[in-house]
Amino acid sequence: MIEIILLVSSVLFIFALKLFGRPSTAHRANTFAMLAMALAVFSAFNFDFSKYDSAFYITIVVSGLLGVLISKRVQMTQMPELVGLFNGFGGGASGAIAYVELSGSSLPISVVFVAIFSMGIGMFTFSGSLVAVMKLRGKLNNFNKKLADIFSVFFPLILVIPAVLEMDELLMEFIILVALIAGVIRVAVIGGADMPVVIAFLNSLSGIAAMSAGFIVNSIILIVAGALVGASGIILTLLMCSAMNRTLRDVLKGGFGTTTINNEYEKDPISTSPEDVAIQLSYAESVVIVPGYGMAVAQAQAAVKELTNTLKDKNIEVKFAIHPVAGRMPGHMNVLLAEVDIDYEDMFTLEDINSDFSSTDVVIVLGANDVVNPLARTDEDSPIYGMPILDVDLAKQVIVLKRSMSPGYAGIANPLFINDNAKMLFADAKEGLENIIKSFELV
Amino acid sequence: MEATFLLTLLITFLASFIGYELISKIPQTLHTPLMSGSNAISGITLIAAILIYPEVGESQLLKIIILIAIAFATLNIIGGFSVTGRILEMFKKND
Repeated sequence: MIEIILLVSSVLFIFALKLFGRPSTAHRANTFAMLAMALAVFSAFNFDFSKYDSAFYITIVVSGLLGVLISKRVQMTQMPELVGLFNGFGGGASGAIAYVELSGSSLPISVVFVAIFSMGIGMFTFSGSLVAVMKLRGKLNNFNKKLADIFSVFFPLILVIPAVLEMDELLMEFIILVALIAGVIRVAVIGGADMPVVIAFLNSLSGIAAMSAGFIVNSIILIVAGALVGASGIILTLLMCSAMNRTLRDVLKGGFGTTTINNEYEKDPISTSPEDVAIQLSYAESVVIVPGYGMAVAQAQAAVKELTNTLKDKNIEVKFAIHPVAGRMPGHMNVLLAEVDIDYEDMFTLEDINSDFSSTDVVIVLGANDVVNPLARTDEDSPIYGMPILDVDLAKQVIVLKRSMSPGYAGIANPLFINDNAKMLFADAKEGLENIIKSFELV
Repeated sequence: MEATFLLTLLITFLASFIGYELISKIPQTLHTPLMSGSNAISGITLIAAILIYPEVGESQLLKIIILIAIAFATLNIIGGFSVTGRILEMFKKND
């Protein structure tokens, strides 16, 4: 009976992933996954609920309620932090389970290695995710990269300490400590804009930790589900890396964009006013909006929707061009736009929209920078050279809505800003858009 | 014993392969709900905690550690699915 439940559960998990593939079926995917999870958890009890004391049930109920409470209260713009936080909990749980199994029962030697692996990966995921959450909240911005470099050099040395000191007693605690520190340091040196990679990578690790836990307790469903998560995380990680033309190793090394080079502009940019932008837009036939992290920071989604409505009312075509690494997690911009009811049919990926820019009348760059920097195509010495970018500089007119001329994450100047077809509207993304919308009433 | 272990490895490989194939086809628009959903699934490690909890014996420390693991995994599962549901709700109303 238990076997049949587990079989159904595994199949449901696989179908859930399949259904995640289309916007129209994705909400059913979540239901399938929940059902699969419920069956899997139920089967673990093996129809014997009396083996568990009240502390067990209270823990489940309280943390379940807490989970619902947190997830209902959080803002859409804080989604990356929340996913990171939950992810850390998953990893921590796997790590803790491995620890208990290592200290409690006598495991076969092959399983001991898997358990140590699970414990290390789980703890790394836990501390790494918590640091990622802090980074996403804007804390811990200036972590000392030198400290991390020193740590990386000494890291292999630290690992042989137990062997040298012949310590058996606290070996596991030592491994946990090292994994926790490694998680903190690895993630702390990675800059905010690389967070889509980090979050996806940690997501994958938590799956791998769960999968290894499956080997320890000999649970096929745990292995299957963990492997599915591990694979999905790896795909997203590699997608994000290739969208930046960088390797995972390079991203995890950290310190990207900390050396400021070639940060001068040959001439001053042309700045514009909300009124002029409104006039320009009202003469356009096609408009493409390129959202970036600036939109999330300013919580400008609602204003974007209002502007879109205003333009569509004037029969102007509006599209959204979304770079794969825009924002702080994979698909971040798409979620924020969906939140304000922008049709996903209007959201385009880099490959789908790049050929359209040359026939676009006005492009609005909304708090994005490096992903529209033409140096990625032209300057071989640039740190972003070779990164696929949105070719907005080919459009007839470009309006860059940005608070200042400060460089983006890569720490380099963006010649788009001084292009002949570009104008700067210096403002916070939300305020800027609202002022443009107000000006429309006067046009 | 040998055969079972090999079989388990085979299952691991197949599951990873299926996961890889299915997820490669998911459009960028759905990357956030996918991550959030798969993140919730990684809380399945709760099963391991449930399996070992009755067998932990007298040690209070180990018992507390498992209870922490249970709390973490439950938060991960329930919170994760709940958030994914919220995100997908926004895609649904577009239809």
